[in-house]
Amino acid sequence: MPTRRTFLAQSGAALTGALLLPALPGCAPGNPLAHIKGRMLGADAATGHLLRDPGRIPAPTQTIETDALIVGGGVAGLAARRWLHRHGLTDTLLVELAAETGGNAAAGHNAASAYPWGAHYLPVPDVRNVELLDFLQEVGTLTGYGPDGLPIYNDYHLCHDPDERLSLDGHWQDGLVPNLNLTAAEQAQFARFFKLIETLKTAKGHDGRDAFCIPLDHASADAEYRRLDQLSFADYLTREGFTARPLRWYLDYACRDDYGALASQVSAWAGLHYFASRKGRAHNATGGDVLTWPEGNHFLTEHLRRHATAPLQAHTLAYDLRETPTGVEVLIHNVATRQSTRVRARRVLLATPQHVAQRLLAQVPGHALPPAGSLHHAPWLIANLTVAGLPQGPGRPLSWDNVRYGSASLGYINATQQSVQQENGAPKVITLYWPLTDEAPGPARRRAYQTPYTEWLPRVVAELETYHPGVTPYIQHADLWVWGHGMVAPTPGLVWGTARQAAMQPVRNRIFFAHTDFSGISIFEEGFYQGIRAAREILETTKSS
Amino acid sequence: MVDTEVAPAVAAPAVQRQPPGLLLVAVAVIATCGLIYELIAGTLASYLLGDSVTQFSTIIGAYLFAMGIGSWLSKYLGGSLLRWFIRLEILVGIVGGCMAPLLFVSFEYVASFRLLLYALVGLTGVLVGLEIPLLMRILEHRYMFKDLVARVFAVDYVGALLASLIFPLVLVPQLGLIRTSVLFGGLNLAVAAVVLARFPETRPYRRRFATGIAAALLGLAVLFGFANKLLAYTETLAFQDQVIYSKSTPYQRIVLTRNPRELRLFLNGNLQFSSADEYRYHEALVHPLLQALPRARRVLVLGGGDGLAVRELLKYPRLEQIRLVDLDPGMTRLFRHNELLLALNKGSLNNPKVQVLNADAYQWVRQDTTRYDAIIVDFPDPGNYSIGKLYSAAFYTALARRLAPGGRMVVQSTSPYLARQSFWCVAHTLAAVGLHTVPYHLYVPSFGEWGYVLAGPDAQWRGDAGPLPAGLRYITPGTIHDMLRFPPDMSEVPTEVNQLNNQALVRYFEEDWGPYVH
Repeated sequence: MPTRRTFLAQSGAALTGALLLPALPGCAPGNPLAHIKGRMLGADAATGHLLRDPGRIPAPTQTIETDALIVGGGVAGLAARRWLHRHGLTDTLLVELAAETGGNAAAGHNAASAYPWGAHYLPVPDVRNVELLDFLQEVGTLTGYGPDGLPIYNDYHLCHDPDERLSLDGHWQDGLVPNLNLTAAEQAQFARFFKLIETLKTAKGHDGRDAFCIPLDHASADAEYRRLDQLSFADYLTREGFTARPLRWYLDYACRDDYGALASQVSAWAGLHYFASRKGRAHNATGGDVLTWPEGNHFLTEHLRRHATAPLQAHTLAYDLRETPTGVEVLIHNVATRQSTRVRARRVLLATPQHVAQRLLAQVPGHALPPAGSLHHAPWLIANLTVAGLPQGPGRPLSWDNVRYGSASLGYINATQQSVQQENGAPKVITLYWPLTDEAPGPARRRAYQTPYTEWLPRVVAELETYHPGVTPYIQHADLWVWGHGMVAPTPGLVWGTARQAAMQPVRNRIFFAHTDFSGISIFEEGFYQGIRAAREILETTKSS
Repeated sequence: MVDTEVAPAVAAPAVQRQPPGLLLVAVAVIATCGLIYELIAGTLASYLLGDSVTQFSTIIGAYLFAMGIGSWLSKYLGGSLLRWFIRLEILVGIVGGCMAPLLFVSFEYVASFRLLLYALVGLTGVLVGLEIPLLMRILEHRYMFKDLVARVFAVDYVGALLASLIFPLVLVPQLGLIRTSVLFGGLNLAVAAVVLARFPETRPYRRRFATGIAAALLGLAVLFGFANKLLAYTETLAFQDQVIYSKSTPYQRIVLTRNPRELRLFLNGNLQFSSADEYRYHEALVHPLLQALPRARRVLVLGGGDGLAVRELLKYPRLEQIRLVDLDPGMTRLFRHNELLLALNKGSLNNPKVQVLNADAYQWVRQDTTRYDAIIVDFPDPGNYSIGKLYSAAFYTALARRLAPGGRMVVQSTSPYLARQSFWCVAHTLAAVGLHTVPYHLYVPSFGEWGYVLAGPDAQWRGDAGPLPAGLRYITPGTIHDMLRFPPDMSEVPTEVNQLNNQALVRYFEEDWGPYVH
């Protein structure tokens, strides 16, 4: 029976609805966005948050056994699974919360193109990263080695030219480094910065190791460089006299692009690492080239997944973990079948963000995970827009990466860049990246989750209008995706503080950790490295036992 | 035939001495219209088909002959002559008024344009030929015959003079052909309307005919307004010569122009060939390659939807299959059906040995499994990043896989004089994928110096390897030999290899052509 109170509430809501209805974008007559179809997508935060309240999950109805349980099907988990498989440990089970594995390297597709929902490129790797080169050779991205001994990359996977353009005062220039209307002093600062980067690229510490490299665990321990981890990149830049506005915009852009954080929020070491760690070499490409695919890095994670045949369960949440005399027991819940299972494993690899591992290990002593919330994870909005055309301003033509100087978002990439088809006027898909760095990650995340599609869409369209005035009628479809924990930011002290190393130490050779949170930098190479590092630790215990 | 209705009309009005002025004006208008249609047909035919002397004489001959048929047929018209006359004016108005727009628009669609042209000229001629005899029969009992004949014919010839003067001096420059045609159609309808209003005996069917006239006038008025757009659409102003065909496909804008000497094809505003010297370009594209492949049976042509390279290929009876892959169905359709263009490519695309596929060449080559003895690559110049991919090392790698053992290919490679870096970049890119290259060039008057690169798995190509087909106008063993020499202003320059990830060629092309477009 409806009470008086609910009646009042309902009529109030109805009345408010009736009053507001004409103002809602989707409903107003003549609404310029009415023709745009689409919806909100995103990592299943609701399922993930079940972890906060495991009491609501039904009890397990079956028990299975495995040698190694891998929790988390992102790059690190998949890389670990592949590595274990290649080294004879095939009795594994991987569980992934989302509908598909791949983590941040999610992807979608429609009639126009496949497109990324997250990570979407891999810079031409350092030739010393042999594990990565081997993997790339397996997937056909690396096709062989030239007479100079350098890798030859698949022409269709190297990002096609034109790769980058920047809109500055309404004119599209080549490349992302602003170069129009700069004063001589500004130009000099750019030149000095890039000269510094060239020096740092080849710099080595007293231990003979590179000052900056990927994976970052291989970088020098020399205090000269590690000191840079103590102050913010912005402070460092000011101290070194890098104050020109266009330069600071560009460097802020780089930090938001790779870390989802501002130059004032990341360490100087990380800010420099972004540039100085790019040491890739190739027979048919330069260090500045990147590898990309219409579906982004989903191409790589799908290959990682296929390179092992061990069972894999999507839609599955690990919600309880405890140690047993012979190993660990993990309770998992499949949100699709609503069935829970008890998994008895000799060991478990937690390839999850640290805050998820922290929650699972609530009852397990002996780990050094930092308290939840101590890492900076910015939320991101990604928009995939199907457009019938892009009104082109003066300057360079549509490129892979298209950025506007001073824009709130990071700009968009053209998902059809790698197509070899001739231009035929068919719709294209463009992917807009928008790290929500205007407020602290926590409030930004809550706001992002609470903002409905009808509020996001006008913001996204308004943003694209600043790139291409008059584009609105050309937008046919716009799907949006919010990543609550987009990526970890290397805040000062994170990468070279003692906590990071301590946190990744295995617990009694039963519980292992792998995730880019343990690198402090969220890039494919680090996830891949973390997975292999943890897999090696697991294999090491197998050997010794 | 019995004039059942005219008889009472004879008795009713008293015979007057002279026809009234209005009627004479009507005769003048009819006469002017008649000649204008003839002039429009003649002008259009020479615009669209060229050779104006032949076009004008055959059109005038056909038109006058059709008028004769019309005059002769007039005796078979009975019943209410006045009614026939009004009907006739409406018909002339519609047919004549639509003649120019119809011919312009149908030029791209109709298989035999000449048939349509002469059918329209014949029809208009017959209708116009009926006018004066019919009018004279209507008036013969109302006016003195000698006056009638004298006045009507005098005014008729005055109208003709007027037409022949205002057509070139006023109408074509001010209104253009389409609007002139529509305007004069309207005048014929106006005559019908005046006659309908002036003669009381039209009363029983006045309303019905008036509606018809109004509808036809409205239609012509719409056409008159639309003609403006049609004119803009044909881009007459953008080109030096008369645009005789223009069409936007999803891929490009195709425009054909003609002047008394030549027919030119433009794709997106870039000249593709001139009929005056295209033989130089296409002979040089095909024969140095084919003469060196005495056992060639199967050939692939990429691009070249104009069928001109295929025309040259068909001079080798040993070829069994020629497969042409062109992106744009609009292009191949035009060159398979348009009479004028069929004369130019000798119907090559309709030859049973020739298979025409409309597909994206890059995608298609990657999926194809056939091997070819010769591949002819005739793409547009690398003016944008989309086309630049068709000149990349990755593409040439895929293409080289399609060569049969001993097979070779040739690539049109822009101008080694105007775009020197671009030309050598194509040569270096072909060499970078492991092919032996032979660059060569010649002078094509409408293009300037133009270059090609022959490429094959070995260095065995020779310019005097085999016999050339008879009847070539440019290529001889001697000219092949000469084409291999590059004077210092076109000689090899170092360039990067054109890869998908650097698109060096498009950047060179922009640099090379920059000075010419600004």
